[in-house]
Formats: sequence, structure tokens, C-alpha cells
Amino acid sequence: MKYIKILLCLLLLTTACQKTPKFTFMVGGSANALLYWERVTKEFETKKGIKIELIRLPADTEQRRQRIVIPLQAKASDPDVFLMDVIWVGMIAGARWLEPLNHYINRDNFDINKFFKRVIEDVDTFKHKIIALPVYVDGGLLYYRKDLLTKYGYHEPPSTWETLVNMAKQIQKKERIQNKAFWGFVWQGAMYEGLICTFLEFCASGNGGISFDPLGKIKVNTMENQKALKFMVKLIHQEGISPPNTFTELKEEEVRLIFQQGNALFERNWPYAWKLHQEDPFLKGKVGITQLPHFEGGKTASTLGGWHIGISKFSDVKEMAWEFVKFVTSFEQQKRFVLKLSWNPGRLDVYQDSEIREKMSHLIILKNVFENAVARPLSPYYSQISQILQRHINAALALKEIPDEALKKAQAEIDQLFAYYGD
Amino acid sequence: MEIRFHKRITTAYIFVSPLLLIIFLFILVPILGTCINSFFQDIPYLPKKFVGMRNYLILIKNPDFWDALKFTIFFTLASVSLETILGISFALLLKERFPGRGILRTMLLIPWAIPTVISARIWQLIYNYNYGLLNYLLQGLGFSDKINWLGTPQSAFWALVLADVWKTTPFMAIIILTGLQAIPEDIYKQAKVDGARFIKRFFFITLPLLRPALIVALIFRTADSLRIFDLVYVLTGGGPAGATRTISVLGFQYYTSADFGLGAAVSSLTFLIVFGFSLLYIRLWGIKKL
Amino acid sequence: MSERRIKSIFIVTGSIFLFLFIITPIFWMMLISFSKNISFLTGGTYQFSFSNYITILTSKSLHMMDYLKNSLIVASITSPIVLIISSFSAYAITRINFAGRRIIPLLVLSISIFPQISIVGYLYRWMGNFGWINSYVALVLPYLAWTSPLALWILLSYFSQIPKELDSAALIDGAKRPKILFRIILPLATPGVLSGLLLVFIACFNEFLFALMLTSDYRAQTISVGISLFQGLHGEIPWGELMAASFFVTFPLILLTLVFQRFIIEGLTTGAIKE
Repeated sequence: MKYIKILLCLLLLTTACQKTPKFTFMVGGSANALLYWERVTKEFETKKGIKIELIRLPADTEQRRQRIVIPLQAKASDPDVFLMDVIWVGMIAGARWLEPLNHYINRDNFDINKFFKRVIEDVDTFKHKIIALPVYVDGGLLYYRKDLLTKYGYHEPPSTWETLVNMAKQIQKKERIQNKAFWGFVWQGAMYEGLICTFLEFCASGNGGISFDPLGKIKVNTMENQKALKFMVKLIHQEGISPPNTFTELKEEEVRLIFQQGNALFERNWPYAWKLHQEDPFLKGKVGITQLPHFEGGKTASTLGGWHIGISKFSDVKEMAWEFVKFVTSFEQQKRFVLKLSWNPGRLDVYQDSEIREKMSHLIILKNVFENAVARPLSPYYSQISQILQRHINAALALKEIPDEALKKAQAEIDQLFAYYGD
Repeated sequence: MEIRFHKRITTAYIFVSPLLLIIFLFILVPILGTCINSFFQDIPYLPKKFVGMRNYLILIKNPDFWDALKFTIFFTLASVSLETILGISFALLLKERFPGRGILRTMLLIPWAIPTVISARIWQLIYNYNYGLLNYLLQGLGFSDKINWLGTPQSAFWALVLADVWKTTPFMAIIILTGLQAIPEDIYKQAKVDGARFIKRFFFITLPLLRPALIVALIFRTADSLRIFDLVYVLTGGGPAGATRTISVLGFQYYTSADFGLGAAVSSLTFLIVFGFSLLYIRLWGIKKL
Repeated sequence: MSERRIKSIFIVTGSIFLFLFIITPIFWMMLISFSKNISFLTGGTYQFSFSNYITILTSKSLHMMDYLKNSLIVASITSPIVLIISSFSAYAITRINFAGRRIIPLLVLSISIFPQISIVGYLYRWMGNFGWINSYVALVLPYLAWTSPLALWILLSYFSQIPKELDSAALIDGAKRPKILFRIILPLATPGVLSGLLLVFIACFNEFLFALMLTSDYRAQTISVGISLFQGLHGEIPWGELMAASFFVTFPLILLTLVFQRFIIEGLTTGAIKE
């Protein structure tokens, strides 16, 4: 009996030991990126004299989200600061887990206009409060083989989808004579979040999109979207310029590898691929990037990606957290992100810097792209909405559903979702 | 006499109460709580709302749920069959006397000793496209194409089954071996004298006498496979594109992304399914001493 | 072909197959863990090195030692407590005739087929409300319940083999029940107790889902979560470091298992055979 009492006391003691307040920063990514974050936190400690603990998360996005959601849902006081994928900001903000930053911004005269207006408005604002700041931004781009275009007499990359299809069909036919594995246009069509990015770009470039109507419902089944989806299906099955495994396998890396191995003329991908293409001996000097094409009568569109930094509503060290947020989004740090990790900053002034302009000239194009970026809808149930859309869009690409039907069904399911949850 | 009798009973209740209390608080109450939660809508910032059977209706209409259920059942069938066949084979082997038997018998425990998640990561490496053992062997054998083992639903399915079989066959083999060793040699001697060949001896003597041990082992293994989480979460994460999600993995995903009540609904259904299967087993095969 | 001949072939091929079956993943893990660079698989040469081990053991940011410490603490607290609690119950069940004597073992056994996912959700909410997420308590309490079937069944089997006459004799001498349990029964059931301690200890190391959902960082996460989420220090997925961490954890577990294999096998087969 005595022993049991002793053990129980030990148990209670160990509980008590966990309670010392700590300042923790949760971030995930590849090992290299995490190594860099360690340097950032060390620098922060030295400069500001505030001790900060880095909690490493895996590289897998889904796992990162789970690791952040678990303590937040339990209203834990740690982590205090964390990075969020642009699509979770809506969910995490909608769950009321983010600390509004307006108070700090006004108090410290923090210049919010130094950041991309579209990004701040579409992603970092929830119910008129700023709840996050961009660390880096991403947008979809069109990569193309400069050398092949020149070879076949084209001087400029296509600015409309219709032109792109013509170029791709022609060049693919000729290139296939020697290279059976050559494709005109590769893009992400597998059933995952990336499919929504691609879909959104096609839609928005034809004046469509996934957006909220005045009643706060999400509208997906529009004429413009149907046109875009039909076009995507055509690319694979009628025009034949996109490979049949587009809707089963192709994600970012698969697409990049096809292009990098010289088997594609056009590629839709994120900015990260640029560095890797440039480092490839075969491709060096042959790759161009530009904004994505649009439909006749539309405007170029690029889905907004990237990562944002926010403060937990349950944090026990909010002031220190705010210092860190300011630090990470400062000019010096953002410039270093570009130079060391090839990340595209959320701050506009970095793009004007002379050293950056010299070393990373392609950023000029990106700046335009980001200014015209479209965000995916900010909603607490975004992951469920995304699942519904993924299922039906992918089914259309797989010819299991007609595009009209696919969007109609998706709309019905989304409407029902909103009916369930209200708000 | 009467007082002593009552005192005994009281003592008994006192003795069992800590165990029962712990189990009640941390197993039974949570299960009940999950079941109750499944009738609610539970989203972070809204108050909990009673919605009756709505979560279950959502699940029934959701293809993800049915896919997960199908996957779990097929996985269980494949895994349990393979490990039983292999387990019996290994047990038969280790029953014989031959040099090295002791070492093999000892080695049999190794997969069991390794934590499941660690074995999952080892298999993740074995199946890796660039650095995996399988593709390395393929290349060594002269094939130019590497296979993306975890890249398609079908190959990922078998990849998971193999990893699971590797981990759990030892358990089966040990139980069956112990059962085999309990069968007296005389029965076999008599059968051999009567002219029964091996196959006959196996099906008419060995299997029937192994039945009690086999059934218990099968119940546990089937329940384990139906509720599997660790191996799948770490090896494939439920991928590619959610194709290898078992019902437990689906429940976990719902707990961390959607309506908590929806996660509770999946979890409750998982409980019913596992329990249901077990009861079915007991009914079908019958256990005399119960 | 004679049966004897077939048997020999079966034994030889079977042994080789069994050996390779078990050893191959272990071998691959060790090979990669000791290799300086994984590029030997895509055209380089193999270089033996301890660098991976040094990295995972000395890099504080990887928190490997923290995860191990947490696992050891949780397992060490859980095992003795659950054995004590279970021995009280096992004693009552095998020695005292009371209502529930037959049902309780069945109830406890049935728990071992419950899916963890059906338990962890509610536990998570509960622990969250108490602010216990990411603490040792959040793990120990559920582990006590979760490993109790294991402990109870082993002890039941051993206790039931100890003659009740010993109790009667001591009772007549005026001894109290708890004293009988600790002074007479447990010493006689030592192999069972050891089995139980070992199996529960290993089970705590192995447990994953509760730890995954009830803890959030290195201050309470166990080694199973640590390795499953391991990302390493360099490169894409640092397989070398990951395998080094894996081997570092599995080696003592394998040793433990091999040294105490008799106890373990008896413990495992007890429930299945001797009922």
C-alpha cells in the first residue's frame, strides 16, 4: 500500500514538472530548410535576448498540419508561433486559434503596406482582422523550353491557352519522331490539393473561380468553371498533349522530372522548380518562365501558395512571439530567405533591392505573378471543400464524370456542407 | 462463519477495484464518450450541437469511408491468411530437430521485438524508389526500370501486407509451435503405422488439434488487422492519395481536420466493426470453454 | 521421393527462407545506418562510418535522447503500477469466490481487441480540458488501462497454479490477505511477474497512437513518435540517420527479448494455450 502511494506521488510530481512556460516555434520542412530555421532562431536569440525553442516538424504537409492542430485544438500554451500553409490559414483562423495582430501592428507602427496587398487581403485577414503575415509566397508559373520554341519559329511563349495548345500540338508531333516520351504540356492533375491549384488557375484565367457569393456560400458550378474543366479534360483526352497519368500520378515532382528529363515543352509548376532546372546541365539556359496563359478574354491567373506565420491565441508569451514575427518578416531576414533558400518574399521592398535584382532576375516576373495571384477560399471547412472538389474534378479528368455533372455534384455537396455547419 | 464470508467478498471487491477503476475511466468511459460524441457536431469555435444520426449519414454517403472500409477488410483478409499459412509453415519447420533450429527459434522473436513504427520506417526504406532494397535488387538483376512500390494503390496494398506479415508472423508461429508441441508424438506414430501420409496427417490430426490455439490467435490477429493504424500511418500515411487509409487512419484524419464528431462517428463504427467481427468469429468457430 | 527426402528438402529450403525472411530488413537497417552516404546505392562506393550515430546522439535539436528518456520514464512508471494493480485483481479472482469472478477476466480480455482510435479521441478532449496534453500523466494513465489485460492474463495463469492450501494455512495463522499476496503468492509467481513487467515495458515502448495524439513535442513525446516523424539534419530524407536511430532503439529491445525469451514466450502463449 505504501509503495502505491509513493508511486502516485511521483506521478503527480512529474506532471508538475511540465509546466514551466516556454517560447516555442513550430516549423516543418526539409532537413535543409530546418537547419536554416535553426540559424534564424539562434540569430533571434542573440539579437533580442529572448530564448526560443525550435520544434521540428516533418516535411510532409499533412503531418505538419496534424502536429499543429493537435495542440491548438487542445488549447495548449505551446506552440506559441508557427508556420502555416496558405490553405490552412483559413481553417486555423476560422477555428479562432490565431491571435489578431492589428493591436501590435498599430502599436509598433508596423508597415503592413510593405507586403503584397492581395496576399494580406485574401489570406492574412479574417473578419477584418489581420491574423498572419506572409513568410514566403508562391504562385503557379509556366515553364517552357526556349530552345524548342525558337527551333520551331516561335519568338514568344503563348499568352493564351488556345495558342499554347496549337504550339504544343505542333511541336509535340515533330519531337515525337525522335523522342517517343515527349509531351506538349505537363501539369498536376492527381487527386490531391495541387489539383485544386491547377483547376483554379484554369478557371480564374477565364473569369471563373472558386469564390464566395454575397450570401457567403462558395460558388463552384459556373459556366466559366465548366469551360475550364472541359478544357482540362480535352488536354489529356482530345488534344493529347498531356499524358494519361496526369490524373493518377502527376504531382509537383513528377511533373518537374518529366520536364527536367527533356520530355516536355510546357510545364505548370511552382517557383521552386526554377533553381532545380537551372542547376541541371542538360536544361541550363534552355528554360524560360512566364505567367500562365489565359483564355481569350480573360486574364492571367496564378494560384497563391506559400507559408505564413501566426501567433497562437493560447500562447503564454504573446509579446515575445510578436517580436519573432517582426523578425522573420523583416527586410534582412526576407532578403536572406531569397538568397539562401530561393524563397519568394512576401515583402515588396525585397524585390527592389539591387543585389536581389542582380542575382535573382527572374523575381521580377514573379512579382507580377504574385500581384495577380488568386487565393483559394478562406474557410474553416476548406479541407472538406477541397476533398469534394478533388474527387469530382479528378473524376472528370478520368472520364468517370462529365464536367457539367462533376461540378454540379460538387456544388450540391458543398452546399450541403454549408447547410450542416451554418455560419 | 457468515462474517468471514462477507469479509472475503468485501476484500475481493477492494482488490479488484483499482483495476476496474482504471479500465472504467480510461477505456470504457472514452469508448462511451466517443459514441456519444458521434451524435454531435463539434467544430472548434462553435458550441457542440446535437445532430443525431447526421454524422453517420454523411459517412454512408461519403465514398472515402467505403473505400477505407473495403481497404481494411481486404487488407485483413490478405494479411491474416498469409501470416497464418506462413506461421504454420514456420512452426512445422521449427518442430523438427535439425542443426540451427535453436538459433532460428530465437531469431523468430526479432520482428516481434521491434516497435511497429520502426519496422514501418525500415520497410519504407526498403520500398523507396531511389534507395530501397527492392529496387536495388532489381537493378542488380539487370532490370532497367525501377518500380514505385508505394506509388500505386495496388502495389502499396501488397507492400503494406508484406510489412505487416513480416511483423506478425512470428507471433502466429510461436503460438502454433507451442500448440504443435502439445500434440503427443504417439498419435503421429500410430498414424504413420496406419499408413497415413503427411498431408493426411496434417489435415486430420494436426489441424484439428491445433484448432483451439489457432482460433484464439486468429481472433486476436483479425481484430488487430481490422483496427490497424501504426503501420499504415507511418509506412504510407494513407497514401497514395488516400488509397491505403484504413478506418482507423480515416478516423484520425477526421479528428485533426474536420468535424470532431465525424471522427467520433468513424471511431465508433470502427469499434462496432471490430467487435462485430470478433463475435462473429466466436459464433462461427465456437469456443467450448467460454 | 520418400517422405524423408521431401522432409530434408523442406527443412533446408524452409530454414534458408525463414532466415532471410527475418534477417533481411534488419540487415538493411544496419547496412544503411553504418554507411557514411546513401549514394552508394546509386553508383557510389560504400563507406563504413559511425557518423550517423554520432549525429543522432549528439544533436540536441533532434531530441533523440529526450524521446528515449520519455519512453523509459513512462514505461518504468507504468509497468510496476500495472503489475501491482493486476496482481491484486488476479489474487481475488483466483482465490476468492465472489460474483464477477468469471466475468471480470473476460471483460478485461475483451479490451485487448478494442480499437485505439475509438478511445483516443475522447481521451484527447478530456486531457485537453485538464491541460494535461503533452505531459507524462497523459500517457501513463491510458497506458495503465491499455496494458492491464496483458498483465492480468499472465498473472491469472500463474496464480491459478499456486495451491490455495497455502492461503488457507496462512489465513489460519491470522495473516491478512495483502500480506499473503506479497509474501507468499508473488514470490512463487516470480517468473510470471517478470514476464508481465517485461511485456508491459515493451508494450509501452511500442505504443503509438495515444502518444501521437496526446503529446505535441519532445518534452513528452516517446521514441515511437520521435522516429515516426523523424526528419533528420541533412538532405532529403536522411535515411542513414533514421536507420541509426532505429537500430539504436531496437538493439537493446532485441537484446532484452533474446535474453528473456523464455519469459516472453511463456507470457505470450499463456493466454492462448493454457486457458
